[in-house]
Amino acid sequence: MKLSCIGWLFGSLLLSGVACRAAEPRLVLPDFSDLTKKASQSVNITLDSSLLVMAGKFLDGDDPQDAAVREVIKGLSGIYVRSYTFGEDNAYRQSDIDAVNAQLTSPGWSRLVQTKDRKSGANVDIYVMVAGEKAIGMALIASEPRELTIVNIVGSIDLDKLRKLEGHFGVPGLDAATTASPPSKQK
Amino acid sequence: MTDDLEAALRAALRPVDPPEGFTGRVMARVASAQRHRLRARWRIPAGIAAAVLLAISIYLHIQQQRREGLEARRAIVEALRLTDEKLDLAYQTVREASGT
Repeated sequence: MKLSCIGWLFGSLLLSGVACRAAEPRLVLPDFSDLTKKASQSVNITLDSSLLVMAGKFLDGDDPQDAAVREVIKGLSGIYVRSYTFGEDNAYRQSDIDAVNAQLTSPGWSRLVQTKDRKSGANVDIYVMVAGEKAIGMALIASEPRELTIVNIVGSIDLDKLRKLEGHFGVPGLDAATTASPPSKQK
Repeated sequence: MTDDLEAALRAALRPVDPPEGFTGRVMARVASAQRHRLRARWRIPAGIAAAVLLAISIYLHIQQQRREGLEARRAIVEALRLTDEKLDLAYQTVREASGT
């Protein structure tokens, strides 16, 4: 009995710790080592502010794409990407990304877009964290039958600039983000 | 007169024993001078070697910074490409759903 109480208390403290951290625009991404082993191709990108500054020096201002990238990363303090491509369908489970979804249910995060394509089985959820009128964090979870991608961008994000990278993507304005319904945890 | 001069010369040039420790001091001074010459001889090559080492380490550091910078640049481009690809996926789904 005493042990279970201690366990419960410890678990509560742990959960409250996770909840506290989840309020940050930077997500705590799981290790995903199992997915890395299973994946035929994996991308693991972790760029903190110092690396972003360093990379910015190597972007060519005369090159249009580099100039657009430089505009996008201006004001960012981190870019974190985990992407896994598998050789067969359903190689990962929804539970693999529960830890990420749990963080996105915390106050501060709002779901901007949720798409489900039944034909291709591709689901994309886009979340933003807004402070004032500025997006200070963005999270994207794209789950496809053979691919899982999680993107977390931290910092002052200008979605228009991001759109200009390819020049053909349009997402609702930030007004929609602030009025979006609170995200629900997906099972 | 000649005898006097000879006697005076003999007196002046009579063998005299060196003072105690004289040989040791002379040999020590000789050794010190040799060491000094050796040090002076290696000073310039040692300086050149140090300068070359410094230049090489600075060059390697710059190269390392450049490698890391280019790697970070590649990672940013890849990250934004993936982000854009997935944003586009969502956009296409929305567009298909709205029939436009």
